Amino acid sequence: MNKIILTFLTILTFLFVGCGENNSTQTNEKKVIKVGTSGGYFPFTFYENDQLKGFEIDVWNAIGEKLGATIEFKTAKFSGLFGMLETGKIDTISNQITTTPQRLEKYYFATPYVYDGAQIIVHKDNNEIKSFEDLKGKKVGVTLGTNYAQIVKSLDKNDEVTLITYEGNGFEQDVKLKRIDAFVQDRISAVELIKKANLPLKIVGEPLEILTNSFPFVKNEANKALLEEVNKAIEELKKDGTLKNISVKWFDTNITEK
Amino acid sequence: MTSFDIDYTLGIFPILFKYIDITISMALIATAIALVIAIIIAIIKTFKIKFLSSFCDLYISFLRGTPLIVQLFLLYFGLPQILPIFSNLDAYSASIAGLSLHFSAYMAESIRGAISSIDKGQFEAASSLGMSKTQSFSHIILPQAIRVAIPSLMNNFIDLIKSTSLAFTLGVPEIMAKAQLEASSSYKYFEAFLAVALVYWVIVITFTYLQKRIEKRLNKAYSI
Repeated sequence: MNKIILTFLTILTFLFVGCGENNSTQTNEKKVIKVGTSGGYFPFTFYENDQLKGFEIDVWNAIGEKLGATIEFKTAKFSGLFGMLETGKIDTISNQITTTPQRLEKYYFATPYVYDGAQIIVHKDNNEIKSFEDLKGKKVGVTLGTNYAQIVKSLDKNDEVTLITYEGNGFEQDVKLKRIDAFVQDRISAVELIKKANLPLKIVGEPLEILTNSFPFVKNEANKALLEEVNKAIEELKKDGTLKNISVKWFDTNITEK
Repeated sequence: MTSFDIDYTLGIFPILFKYIDITISMALIATAIALVIAIIIAIIKTFKIKFLSSFCDLYISFLRGTPLIVQLFLLYFGLPQILPIFSNLDAYSASIAGLSLHFSAYMAESIRGAISSIDKGQFEAASSLGMSKTQSFSHIILPQAIRVAIPSLMNNFIDLIKSTSLAFTLGVPEIMAKAQLEASSSYKYFEAFLAVALVYWVIVITFTYLQKRIEKRLNKAYSI
C-alpha cells in the first residue's frame, strides 16, 4: 500500500515539475515585481473593458518607474490573494490592505500610502442607525477575509451584532433590498460606490477606526531588501507629489496623507 | 431604481468570448485526464485487484467527500507548503489538476456502474471463444460499457464545465472571473451574471448536441 502511494506521488510530482519548468525562465535584465490585486475593488483596482485600471495600478506603475522594475499584476479573488502571497506566487498584495497587529506579526509592511476609515453604511431611509451602538441586534455585512469583520467583532463586546460575511461584494444590494441593515466598508470606496452605482445608501457617523493601508511582504531576507527599495520609492513619490496627483485623479481628494 | 441595461449586457459578451477558450480548454483537458484515471480505477475495482482496489476506494471517498473548492485550495496553496517544488505549479495547471482529480472519482463510478451493467454471460461467451481476460474485457465488455456510460459521463462533464468557474479563486482569468470583475467596477451585477449564464448555457447546449450525435452513432449497431 505505502509503496503504491509513494509511486503515485512521485509520478504526480514529476508531472507537475514538468508543467512548471517553462515558467521559471527569468530575465535578468529588468527586475520583476509581482503584485497581486483583486481587480474587483472599484476604483482602487478594477477591470473596465478588460483593462486593469485604478489607483493601486497607478501607484505601482509609479513605484516601478522609480525602481526601474517591471510590475507584473496578477489578479485573483481577494480570498485567494493571501494564499498566493504565502506560497510566493506574488511578492506583495496591492488591494488596500490595512495594517493590523495580527498581520504585522506575520508580514513586513511598506510605508503606508493610504489613510482611510472604516465606515457604517445604511439604507437612505434608515434613520435608526446613527452609530455603532445602534447596530446591536442588526444584520451587518462585511467581506470575507477583510479586517472589517474583526473591527466589528472587537467593538461588539457582548456579541450582539449579527455579522454576515460575503464573498466579494453583494452586501450593497442586500442593504438596498433591506435584507440586511448595514454594511461596514472603507469610507473612500463606499462614497464611490454610492455615487457610481446610484444606490439609495448613505454613510452614517464617524469612522469606526482610522485605517492605515500598505503592502504586505512575507518575512524573509530577500524581501527585506525589496521592502527597503519600495519604501524609498514611496517616500520619493510622496515628496514629489506623484502620490497626491494619483489620489486626486481617482478621488478628487488626497487620501495618501493623514 | 436603475433599470436593466441592455447595451451594457451586450458589451460584456465580447469580453467573455475572449476568455471562453480558457474555460473550454480547462474543461476538455481536465475531462481527458479524468477519463484516463477513471477508466484505470474502474478496471481496478471491477477486477478487485488487491491493495490497489482499497487505495481506489480511499481515493474516491476523499475526492467525492470534500468540496472541489477545498481541493483546489489544498492543491494550490497547501501542497507547496509541504513540498516546495509544487510552488512552480501555475493557477491554470493547478485548476486542471484539481478538476481532473475531483471528477475522475465521479467518472470512475459512472464507468464502473456501466461495466457492471453488462451481462456476465458476455464475458463467459468471450472466454469460451478462447479470448484472454484482457481481450474479452477490451473487445467485448468495454465497448458495450462505454455506450451505457455516456449519459452519466456527459452529466459529469457538464458539471465539470460549470465547475471551472471556481478557478477564479486561484486567479485563472476564465469567463466567470471576467464577468465578476466587470460587474464590480460597473456595479451592474445582474447584467454581467445574466450574460455569463447565457454563455455557459450555450456551451452546454453545444456539447449536449454533440453527445446526441455520439450516442446515435454508438447505438447504430444495436438498432434494428
